[in-house]
Amino acid sequence: MKHLNEEQIVLHYYGDADDDAAVARHMSECAACRAEFERVGSLLQQIEPIEVPEPVASFEEKTWLNLRDRLPEKRSWLGNWLPSPKQWAVAGSMVALLVAAFVAGRFWPRASTVAPAPPVIANANPQQVVLVAVGNHLERSEMLLVEIMNSDGKAPLDFSNEQERARDLLDANHLYRVSAQREGDPKIARLLDQLGRVLAEVANGPEKMTPGDLKEIRGRIESEGLLFKVRVVGSDVNSRVRGREQSAAANATQRL
Amino acid sequence: MEVSDAAVVAQVLAGDKEAFRLLVDRHSRSIFHVTFRMTGNQQDAEELVQETFLRAYKALGRFELRSNFSTWLYRIAVNRTLDFLSVKKMKSKDTYQIVDEPDPEEGRQIQLPSEGPGPERMVLSSEMKSKVAQSMALLTPVERIAFTMRHMEGRSIEEIGETLKLNTSAAKNSVFRAVKKLRQQLDVYASTAR
Repeated sequence: MKHLNEEQIVLHYYGDADDDAAVARHMSECAACRAEFERVGSLLQQIEPIEVPEPVASFEEKTWLNLRDRLPEKRSWLGNWLPSPKQWAVAGSMVALLVAAFVAGRFWPRASTVAPAPPVIANANPQQVVLVAVGNHLERSEMLLVEIMNSDGKAPLDFSNEQERARDLLDANHLYRVSAQREGDPKIARLLDQLGRVLAEVANGPEKMTPGDLKEIRGRIESEGLLFKVRVVGSDVNSRVRGREQSAAANATQRL
Repeated sequence: MEVSDAAVVAQVLAGDKEAFRLLVDRHSRSIFHVTFRMTGNQQDAEELVQETFLRAYKALGRFELRSNFSTWLYRIAVNRTLDFLSVKKMKSKDTYQIVDEPDPEEGRQIQLPSEGPGPERMVLSSEMKSKVAQSMALLTPVERIAFTMRHMEGRSIEEIGETLKLNTSAAKNSVFRAVKKLRQQLDVYASTAR
């Protein structure tokens, strides 16, 4: 009788032999192969899984902090769609024109409807338009942060509504941050960067927020003074918007 | 409801780098377990966790959202570990971390128990663990990883093959070669312990 080779016996131990049934049949009839199989099995049973030491509780945090600065910026799907700075500028101008039309519609005096609108749109400053949008974004973000800070943290909370709002804000936040960086407004860009991290945390957090989760997010907001910064920068942005609107209105009146 | 890994990946791909943190929070510990089992060294394992996530982040665009993220990440971790062990092996200066009284003259040679203390004085399981660790260091990186996946993690031959990009027969052969080498080193201990 031809004996099994070592490979057949080892692989049979794991159930991986090419013909396990035939190997088993052979062993039932061959004492020598059975004995060899038992020796292999006995050794392998003594090789226990390596005991893994449990890393420190802050392991995830530590890993992230070490990793974060090494991660290159990802280009968003929008970035892939509009890859070049030139195309970004075109898209920005189009958005600016649309928002300008909206803003002009809201603030243009009703009595002066005889005045032609197109020149106002054509003269709208894109930076002004972005500022209006950023001011609005900060206001909405502030409302969300205030709600988070004031919500009852004693029992698990349904955070699905806040999460949905955070997700909406997060998408816009990214665009405004890119825009602020491009326009050379580091103060707003930095704030939006901080705000984005907290929004991402809320958006990706559990739908049922435990008191512990809530405490963690509040701690983050407080430690970075985020709510205060959002209010200050938001107020500054709104002042700038009002100032520019007044100048624009004065210019328009002069033209009339 | 918890946000799925795929949804978080989509968010990162949309430009939200910070969202990647959630994936690190969810998976870094299990990846550490994998890299530690394969390297036997805490510092190396921690470094490999970071390398794994860095590689994953850079390759995120190639992740298919319908796939299982943890499986994808596991494969990256194993291959990063394989690269790491291969480089370390090439340098030929490695010594496995878990060594009791290594003999500097003998380098990476395994000491057999014939001239050592008698079995009655040994704590056999502890001794065996130590010898297993030393013997594992003698395996090639592929053998070591294939054996760890099959024997210690209970992964199938197919999974080993897919992860290490080996065909079924090569994956089986890697496991067999690992066991054969371990037997050569450990049979004496195993018989003492029996």
